[in-house]
Amino acid sequence: MTSKVDAPLKSSPSDQRGWRRFALRGDVILGLVLVLPGVVLAILFKLVPLLRAAWLSLFETRGFEEPAFAWFANYESMLRDPTFIAAFRNALLIFATLPIWIFVPLILALLIFQRSPGWKVFRAVYFLPYMIAPIVVGIMFRQILAPDGPLNAFLRMAGMAPLAIEWLNGADSALLSLVAVAFWSFFGLGVLTYLSGLATLPEEVVEAARLDGAGFWRLMIDIAIPLIRPVLGYWTVLCTSGMLIWMFPLIYALTRGGPGSSTMLPEYLVFTTTFEFLNRGKGAAIGMALFVFVAIVSAFVVRRMYMEGKGAAQ
Amino acid sequence: MREQSKRFQNHRWLLRAAGPAVLVAALMAPFSVPAVAQEVTTIRVLNWQPGGAEYWTALVAAFEAANPAIKVELETVPFDRYPEVQGPYITTKSGPDVMENNAGLELFDRRSAYVELPAEVLEAGQELLTYSGGCLNFDTAQPCYGLPFGYQGNVMYYNKKVLAAAGLDPENPPKTWDEMDAACTAVKAIGKTCLALGMTGVFPTYWNFPEVARNFLTEDDMRAVLAGDMPWTDPKMISILEAMASIGERGWFNSSAPSISMLPDGADIFQSGNAAFASTIIADAVNWAAFGAALGDENVGAMRWPSIVPDAPLAKKFSGIESSVFGVSKWSTKQEAAFEFVKFVAGAENANLLTTIAGGISLNKNVDPNLLPKSQALSQILEIIKFPTLHVGVLLSGQEADALARGWQEVTLGRLSVADWAARMQTALEASPSKS
Repeated sequence: MTSKVDAPLKSSPSDQRGWRRFALRGDVILGLVLVLPGVVLAILFKLVPLLRAAWLSLFETRGFEEPAFAWFANYESMLRDPTFIAAFRNALLIFATLPIWIFVPLILALLIFQRSPGWKVFRAVYFLPYMIAPIVVGIMFRQILAPDGPLNAFLRMAGMAPLAIEWLNGADSALLSLVAVAFWSFFGLGVLTYLSGLATLPEEVVEAARLDGAGFWRLMIDIAIPLIRPVLGYWTVLCTSGMLIWMFPLIYALTRGGPGSSTMLPEYLVFTTTFEFLNRGKGAAIGMALFVFVAIVSAFVVRRMYMEGKGAAQ
Repeated sequence: MREQSKRFQNHRWLLRAAGPAVLVAALMAPFSVPAVAQEVTTIRVLNWQPGGAEYWTALVAAFEAANPAIKVELETVPFDRYPEVQGPYITTKSGPDVMENNAGLELFDRRSAYVELPAEVLEAGQELLTYSGGCLNFDTAQPCYGLPFGYQGNVMYYNKKVLAAAGLDPENPPKTWDEMDAACTAVKAIGKTCLALGMTGVFPTYWNFPEVARNFLTEDDMRAVLAGDMPWTDPKMISILEAMASIGERGWFNSSAPSISMLPDGADIFQSGNAAFASTIIADAVNWAAFGAALGDENVGAMRWPSIVPDAPLAKKFSGIESSVFGVSKWSTKQEAAFEFVKFVAGAENANLLTTIAGGISLNKNVDPNLLPKSQALSQILEIIKFPTLHVGVLLSGQEADALARGWQEVTLGRLSVADWAARMQTALEASPSKS
């Protein structure tokens, strides 16, 4: 009797497969619907401008005259331009400071995480520099780094007069100053990123390490870094691309790419070529070169991250 | 009741007719209101407000009072962001009805965006000392794309207090390169900067280069510079670069000059009383009025740059240029109203406003002389500008201006020779679309 009543309620295996397929199809559709706005926005505001820039880079543009198709003439002209070479050389020099951008915020985040003396004060202020608009940071540091500015006044007062140089005048010191100012402006974001990663560390692991006598550096190298590797990778990728494309407002306010081409970077060169020289085609070509450069470097870092993640998982 | 109903039926035709009439009237109502508004034409004016906001408010009010059928909507953009905003308007052939550009090469490069001014508009130019900067190749016989209103150019301001403290005669500032060298030695001896200078951006091209170049070029040479026919390897051009390099070798200016901008940093050094001389402009910002307000009118004087070659034909001239010009965009559908604005800007009423409110120097011959402020520096400037010549700075392309500034920075820091600087300038000239 029961079986007679229950029989229609039980679904056959083929029905179950059908339901599963339907549910799966529903999930796929839902997934597509959720992803679609992002894809449309990415196409409209990322891919289309990129393709337009690539197309424009094939045109010779003379001021506001009608552009003429010129194949790769802009790229040839770009590669012969000494300022272009200088801009990418400077970009590589800046790229060499990447370890500082990665590890200094990590050290600071760990000091806050383990509640070192003064951590409360530092926790309250570390994010402030990031909240100041970069153009304002540039204007501030133009005063601070001036020959008679507060930095040199402090160095002279502290008996370090030989260090009180004209920071923005020298070929190396100008680029170094620019990187230092950029780092001051953005390190807060790194500390915040690392703190969010450190918050996920299992407390018992940290406690166990401490009981085993692990000091600050041991904790960082053997516990924190392996456990927050994805966060470390994320911040590395962000810095890799960001340190080449965050600099514009700082260059604009601090040095305008000078003296000479000492602090010229590709993104600022795109601006001068496009808007000061009215050469939109060549500006687009330099922009494409910058895009390829950042893409290659980022892809290298992402791939390495992925490989390490895979290795760790195995 | 029946009577009433009958009366109602008798008048029903009236209601039937009135209904659609009311409906038509209601539908037409939105159109009838703009019929009045259409009489007022609104024009959009792209500008960077030379002379300041207060002057522009007065200018618009005066224009609208004189032309009640035209309303002006200002689109004001900071000077250093102007090309970024104007460029897309021109490339998309849309946007404001009236636009502003610097006279000279900047305007000529953008002439495809402007209509040629008709004869009746150019008549307003007859009231001006000159309007050639709005015409192709500085020639009023060729098409003109804009009319100017103010006069601009370079002088060297001096701080009489500093000169006196250095043991120099403030009423007799240096007139030659050697006298300037001696003056700088004296000024530096009292711990002050001799010449306040900033080398970044376009300031070296607009404010310093023309004053040195006048010693080596003729007006024909300058026209050749405009046409791109004067190579930077020419001995005259090399002489200009050598003279500019020698300013650094002689140590006349502040050591921070290669990495700072003349505006505001360089001008600040002079304005704060820490320098004896500053080479800036006669109108708009950092002029006699601004320096007078900061240092006291009685302490500020204005002179020509000291001569390097005193007997050169243009050595005692003034590098003058119309400050900026206003023209009518090709895509404007309100060109008649826009022409009225361009004429008004060049007219005497605006000239008086410029003089009284902005402290500017008008090009209009009919400006009321009683309105001119009392300032010794201004009186000196009014004497200097009586002998104008072309301003060769505005004849350089963007590429040349950039290479000039960056080259001067590197030469000053001892990282580049004059010969290499000249080679870079020649490369920049060859890469200039407007000159090749």
